[in-house]
Amino acid sequence: MYQYTDFDRHFVQARAAQFRDQLERNLKGDLGDDEFRPLRLQNGWYVQRHAPMLRVAVPYGELSSAQLRQLARIARTYDRSFGHFTTRQNLQFNWIPLVQAADVMDLLADVDMHGIQTSGNCIRNITSDALAGIAPDEIVDPRPYCEILRQWSTLHPEFAFLPRKFKIAVTGATEDRAATLWHDIGLHLLKNEAGEVGFKVFVGGGMGRTPVIAALINAFVPWQQILVFIEAIVRVYNRYGRRDNAYKARIKILVKAEGKKFFDAVNVEFAAILERDIDGSAQLITQAALDRMSASFRVPAGIKQEVRMCADSAVGDAPLAYTRWRERNVHAHRVPGYRAVTLSLKRAGQAPGDATDVQMEQAAAIAERFSLAELRVTHDQNLLLPWVRESELLALWQAAKAAGFATPNIGLITDMIACPGGDFCALANARSIPLAEQITERFADLDEQYDIGDIDLHISGCINSCGHHHSGHIGVLGVDKDGAEWYQLTLGGSDGSTASGGSVPGKVIGPSFAADEIADAVEAVIATYRRERRAGERFIDSVRRLGTAPFRAATDDVRQATAVAHA
Amino acid sequence: MKFIDPHHDHWHATVGENAPIPAPDAGANRLLTLEQWHAVREHWPHDVLAGVVVPNDRDIEVLDGDLPRLATIVLQFPKWVDGRAYSQARLLRNRLRYRGEVRATGEVLVDMLPLLHRTGFDAVQLRADQSLESGQRALRFFADNYQGDVHETQPRFARRAA
Repeated sequence: MYQYTDFDRHFVQARAAQFRDQLERNLKGDLGDDEFRPLRLQNGWYVQRHAPMLRVAVPYGELSSAQLRQLARIARTYDRSFGHFTTRQNLQFNWIPLVQAADVMDLLADVDMHGIQTSGNCIRNITSDALAGIAPDEIVDPRPYCEILRQWSTLHPEFAFLPRKFKIAVTGATEDRAATLWHDIGLHLLKNEAGEVGFKVFVGGGMGRTPVIAALINAFVPWQQILVFIEAIVRVYNRYGRRDNAYKARIKILVKAEGKKFFDAVNVEFAAILERDIDGSAQLITQAALDRMSASFRVPAGIKQEVRMCADSAVGDAPLAYTRWRERNVHAHRVPGYRAVTLSLKRAGQAPGDATDVQMEQAAAIAERFSLAELRVTHDQNLLLPWVRESELLALWQAAKAAGFATPNIGLITDMIACPGGDFCALANARSIPLAEQITERFADLDEQYDIGDIDLHISGCINSCGHHHSGHIGVLGVDKDGAEWYQLTLGGSDGSTASGGSVPGKVIGPSFAADEIADAVEAVIATYRRERRAGERFIDSVRRLGTAPFRAATDDVRQATAVAHA
Repeated sequence: MKFIDPHHDHWHATVGENAPIPAPDAGANRLLTLEQWHAVREHWPHDVLAGVVVPNDRDIEVLDGDLPRLATIVLQFPKWVDGRAYSQARLLRNRLRYRGEVRATGEVLVDMLPLLHRTGFDAVQLRADQSLESGQRALRFFADNYQGDVHETQPRFARRAA
């Protein structure tokens, strides 16, 4: 993974010092709360229901065990001993008092971490494929480009106060594991017929109250020019994006409203940067610069291709739980003899994506023993070990099991995405965690989960869509009506992975459900699928074939409180 | 960075009783609106440098061609979180090669100073309640940056030494 240089380190320390100055001015009363707000947001500090929430950036999901241990220490010392991993590969703390904020930033800086641009109307943390650099289906490793983008976007002086937040996701594989078309800019690295590397660029995707799939703006931008092309997009957005209404300020609204005019403006700006700007050519990525960056992402020295004959002799007489874990939590690797392994953060008794300080320490220890001290945070809120020897899988399974990370449920119904919801988030209309808990309990039987098979269940506590309900095969959205919690159910959404089909928002089925009905409704959807499916047909394919009607009928049958109102 | 004291500013708007005079006479240190400038630019003497105020929703390139005649260009921050003028300033410097003063006005807070400096502003009129001392401190936190800007065109990743 990327190794911080002295410059990177000084930069993060400078940012921490700048934040301390701003915080002290705020606490002294010299800097008003309204004006401090955008400054603290751009350092990851929200004010939430109980205390400020701190969102720590994990650039494109790469995390070292030393960093995870420091996060554990912060959780233990300053928070209530846990943190929450998010769909954008970040980590959130919920209980740190603002007066201690600057101390925490210093501790983060000690391990090359920060909260820069994890919130606010700026370019957010770059996200990528959790299997970047190790996936067998990868065309080009996206990480050197992600790091260049991280550096380019970090405290970009021109783009620090955009109309609204701006999210970029990058993949270099044939399979999209980063939900790229749901981003303001989605980048697909590929090779053209001549074998040259470039980016297919999509723009204007996003969730929120107006779900939009990003549109293709350029089928092939040569890699050397990608920063220039992105700068052109962001500059056009900075100039023309709406600032009169926060709900219409995302770039997706501009792209929708202007269509071809927007594309033309970007192309004109792109040409102008290259042809007219003093620094246009300085923004081109040179082969030498890419090579320097790529050096950080070479296969680690300890990795040696292994002969497969000795691999995993234990399979034959291993327990069923191990077989299942191998099936669900272990992924193919481009280096023969190696595997990528997901540590599941979806288990009974804990909210999806949550980890305690002890669990973080355990995950760090496991990574040190089995994965060269490296981890990844996945888009679906789990941890992943990128460098596991196939011959050590059984030993890893035992260690993961002992630490509670071995639930063999990756891709199954209990491996759901959920935001922290109304229990923590001041924006939420409804709670997510109790519903996630109910569903985890109802589908606790692994045989049943396996019978249901691959399914994406996504839960958001409000329309801001942090739980990605739009892209769930089953999506649940918390809504507020007259101060009570209600839940809207959607079916057939897709994050853009091959199995889920092209990115599309789910369709709402029926009026909202009451809090005590929604788990029944989800169960009714699953029961309908199991009754109606054809042999071997996955949930999402059944929904596509059958349409929403039979599911809606089944969910209407379980209505109690809302039965009369909507009869 | 020049900190402008509005009470001792030698640039003056040409305002009549209630509104800007549509086509003011030429004179030194006249600060014109974009509309005024467009009304007078044809006959404005070439040896009298003017100042122009450009709203942040206008295309800055409308001044291309006039730039040698302008000693100051005043860009606006109607709200400090409205970042459009950063783009205008950068284009003035790096695309249009403007060498005169680029001034930030409106809701200008000390915490904007590093951004203003890097996008090409060289003069600011801070909001009245802002502390000059905090402003000077704000300019000193970062010795160097990741991206290129109007002062250092090479981004860090492009430079050989890490």
